[in-house]
Amino acid sequence: MKTLVLGLGNPILSDDGVGIRVAREVVGQVRDPQVTVAESSGAGLSLLDSIAGYDRLVIVDAIQTKEGHVGQTYRLGLQDFALTRYFSSPHQLNLATTLELGKMLGLAMPQELTIFAVEAKDVSTFSEQCTPEIERVIPEVVEMVLHELGVRNSKQG
Amino acid sequence: MKRITIDPITRLEGHGKITIFLNDDGSVANTYFQVPELRGFEKFSEGRPAEEMPQITQRICGVCPEAHHMAATKALDALFHVEPTSTAVKLRELLYSAFYVTDHTTHFYILSAPDFVVGPDAPPAERNILGVIAKVGLELGGAVINTRKQNHWIIQTIGGRPIHPCFGLPGGVSRSINEEERAQIEEIGKQSVEFGKTSLQVFDDVVLKNKAYLDMVLSDTYTQKSYNMGLVDEKNKVNFYDGKIRVVGPDGKELCKYAPKEYLKHIAERVEPWTYLKFPYLKEVGWKGFVDGVDSGVYRATPLSRLNAADGMATPLAQEAYEKMYETLGGKPANFTLATHWARLIELLYAAERLLDLSRDPEITSPNIRNIPTATPDEGVATVEAPRGTLTHHYITDERGVIKKCNLIVGTTNNYAALFMSIKKAAEDWIKPGVKITEGLLNRIEMAWRPYDPCLSCATHSLPGQLPLEVTIYDAQGNEVQKLSQGV
Repeated sequence: MKTLVLGLGNPILSDDGVGIRVAREVVGQVRDPQVTVAESSGAGLSLLDSIAGYDRLVIVDAIQTKEGHVGQTYRLGLQDFALTRYFSSPHQLNLATTLELGKMLGLAMPQELTIFAVEAKDVSTFSEQCTPEIERVIPEVVEMVLHELGVRNSKQG
Repeated sequence: MKRITIDPITRLEGHGKITIFLNDDGSVANTYFQVPELRGFEKFSEGRPAEEMPQITQRICGVCPEAHHMAATKALDALFHVEPTSTAVKLRELLYSAFYVTDHTTHFYILSAPDFVVGPDAPPAERNILGVIAKVGLELGGAVINTRKQNHWIIQTIGGRPIHPCFGLPGGVSRSINEEERAQIEEIGKQSVEFGKTSLQVFDDVVLKNKAYLDMVLSDTYTQKSYNMGLVDEKNKVNFYDGKIRVVGPDGKELCKYAPKEYLKHIAERVEPWTYLKFPYLKEVGWKGFVDGVDSGVYRATPLSRLNAADGMATPLAQEAYEKMYETLGGKPANFTLATHWARLIELLYAAERLLDLSRDPEITSPNIRNIPTATPDEGVATVEAPRGTLTHHYITDERGVIKKCNLIVGTTNNYAALFMSIKKAAEDWIKPGVKITEGLLNRIEMAWRPYDPCLSCATHSLPGQLPLEVTIYDAQGNEVQKLSQGV
């Protein structure tokens, strides 16, 4: 199955970069030629260009929820976002609308979608590092993604 | 497991919050507009080699990285006292034109068109790009996607990477293009010009031929008589990449025209206690509060302002469209906020024409793409027109070129005061005693905001736990009477 692992976020905005950090860890541990690992700071239509042609999409991103605990991790599917399907962002499209638009235009859109999200603490201070709480959970999220891909973590020694 | 209902990819830009306080009779007493602030960019850049700035600053904004890359690259030219070669300038402008085509296309079809093509009062579930395509047809939908894709190919080919270019160097660019690439760019240029013409035709058919929409564009609710800012070339024609900054009043008179390095002589910032935002204004006129008119230093830097601040467009088809717009709107300058959407499409056509012209320039494939800087760096200022407003980068370094101080005025910042006023006016005009506050009414307030397409807190875009735009209304006793958010 042609799979895209996409780390999303801004790599210089503290915890907003967690998706990209995870992607950079994952890339070295995946040998499967069917799996592509990429990072993106884009959204909406830019994502449409990136995800077209893949059967499966795995997104890693930061998240901020009202009741979440910093560092909490989530494994989400498209259904978790279905209620906001028609939400229009100030600039762009949401993921569900993007997928629907792609299908409408006859592009090959992923059939499977999984989102790994990490509850962020700080997404408004410029820094190349995540906050310590988030740095600590990066290995765990990497494992979650590798497990999703069916890759055994082959750490030796 | 807790069900989470948030939207993952309303990713970009800030969570705008509009708060409206009502009088006893239900009319609007006060309107406030707040956004979260990103912190510490100046500190983040201090101590870094200036050459890193084109790479770093383009990460500030998820929407217009190319604009930051270009402003930073030009600021490095100034900092290192080096003139880029003629071919390098043309390659930069070529990339920048392709970027404008993608950005303006996205804005119009995703953001502007739903209000007009589907309708301002249509249910939010239909008022989106899917609704637009359902009305205008799949063919045009495909053209939108294709135009973006093709122009992203140009950005990637010239810039070295998709979305975040890595080609800008002090004195030039890092790679040249070959004949095969040039020919492909020319082909995309031709298609983009056709797409620009089609888009203006869509605007003509959908908005101009609908009297109700045209009346809305011309209505007082969406009229604001502020100063207009924009970069112009030596003939006072609109230019995105380079030139002088010209400011023209709501009465059409030129207030000033200055080189980017003089910006601090002309622009000051006003601080208000209720928001983190700083409001830039024109020093020569002075801050008179959130009011319009020639005596108020509030200005706008938007597609419409750029057209108002210039004497015309440098390419023939865009010039034709420019003349038609002012004829329809009753002369220049046009102070109708909603006409910004129209101006954006004229700029789209201009960018496409410029792209095509540059692709045919005999110098464009020259290998002479860089002058090596030899002078000691000290201070550099540069300005480009970002799609959302005049963008200025200002760096001060030590003699090794290490950043000591960095100041940026990003596109949207210029528009903060005007944007706030537009929202306030729309709120006051739509929320009246006895009028039921509905989603459609909220949308009409948002329509005052949408032409600016503000990048509020550029690049704050983790999965939001709150809705990006929220309007809260309080009665005269301070009780929350209504909270409205987009969609859902």
